[in-house]
Amino acid sequence: MKIFRLGGLVAIALCFVVTAFAHHSAAGVDTTKTVTHEGVVKIFKWANPHSYLEIEVQGKDGATETWNLEMMPPSYLVPAGWTSKTVKAGDKIKFSARPMKNGDPGGLFVSITLPDGKTLGQTAPRGGGAAPTAPAAPAAPR
Amino acid sequence: MSKFRIGRIGMAVLVVLGVMTAASDLLAQFQPPGTLGVLAPANLAKPRPKAPFDITGTWLHSRGESERFEPPAGFKLTPFGQKHYDAAAAATAAGKIYRNDIGLCWPAGVPIMMTRVWPIQMIQLPTSVFMISELMNSLRIVYMDGRKHTDPDIVVRSFNGESIGRWEGDALVIDTTNFVDEHHWIFDRGGIPATDALRVIERIRMQNEGKRLEIEYTLTDSKVFVGDWKFVKHWDRVDDRDIAEVECLPDLNDHMPTVHSSDNVRQ
Repeated sequence: MKIFRLGGLVAIALCFVVTAFAHHSAAGVDTTKTVTHEGVVKIFKWANPHSYLEIEVQGKDGATETWNLEMMPPSYLVPAGWTSKTVKAGDKIKFSARPMKNGDPGGLFVSITLPDGKTLGQTAPRGGGAAPTAPAAPAAPR
Repeated sequence: MSKFRIGRIGMAVLVVLGVMTAASDLLAQFQPPGTLGVLAPANLAKPRPKAPFDITGTWLHSRGESERFEPPAGFKLTPFGQKHYDAAAAATAAGKIYRNDIGLCWPAGVPIMMTRVWPIQMIQLPTSVFMISELMNSLRIVYMDGRKHTDPDIVVRSFNGESIGRWEGDALVIDTTNFVDEHHWIFDRGGIPATDALRVIERIRMQNEGKRLEIEYTLTDSKVFVGDWKFVKHWDRVDDRDIAEVECLPDLNDHMPTVHSSDNVRQ
């Protein structure tokens, strides 16, 4: 597909953020908004039932905030091109996320742009899930 | 020893064994010593009618169907049930999450574990059906060897309940009781708790040449709602999936902003 040939810019398999996924609710997340920040990876955890990222973002006032991003489990990251080594502590990245309604630094992961310029998202459970909240790209073949 | 004495001893042994394995004496928990478990070869080998179908497989709740066990039309709650229902409605209206126990690693239990996005692997034996959900690797054992529910006064209650199953025509009928009384929900976000009065009856039929299961649920919980609530849900066979270890770890949720957010109503 053409979309996968846009060299280094877009490799997003699917941009669904499945808010009804798994065992807890995303009622505290503003699924109408997407925020984007630059930062440095502090932790990337490859785990079930959720992978997660902690990213240090420097605020305008110079203070550092740690953003806590909840991701899908690895079975939904691998088809989107992830491995447990895709990012590591110290990597300078850009991320987008659905933010918390209460202003806490964190939310649901949407996509990441890696130091080499590649962008990765995550896939959704088979058959869909919650209504898409971002423009969708076609799912990677399984 | 004379043949006669061996014969009488043999008979005595048979009688004892017969009594020990008499189905009407057997409870699901706290079996007398020597009682056969569901995996004992002698229990597995007992002659039984052929099962109408084999549920063995990996199954996933059908997408596009509601996974929720929401109150059906015309529902009536007890005062206890109404208290939670109203509190949940208020929380939802305020953009908050009511009693997200599952997010805090309390097991979902039955019925919620049956409609997760995580697959369930099932293994059917003549004596039992083992069901393992991928999420938290929650386990149900459906006892099919004639044992009965444990006396409620001695049973150790559980989130998944105690399941006794039997074949009825073309259906597997599972009767589950002896549930815990706290941190267990029929519909958590909507404020419908499950109490120790919960009883879940599942009638499971196989469809589409073994590719689909239809489960008719009948729920009663006289501490929460009046009468019974019925639901019909489906599972699809997913032959290309196996389950992994999925734990709900105490520190995982330290990193889950949705679990930690002040938008959670805990009490």
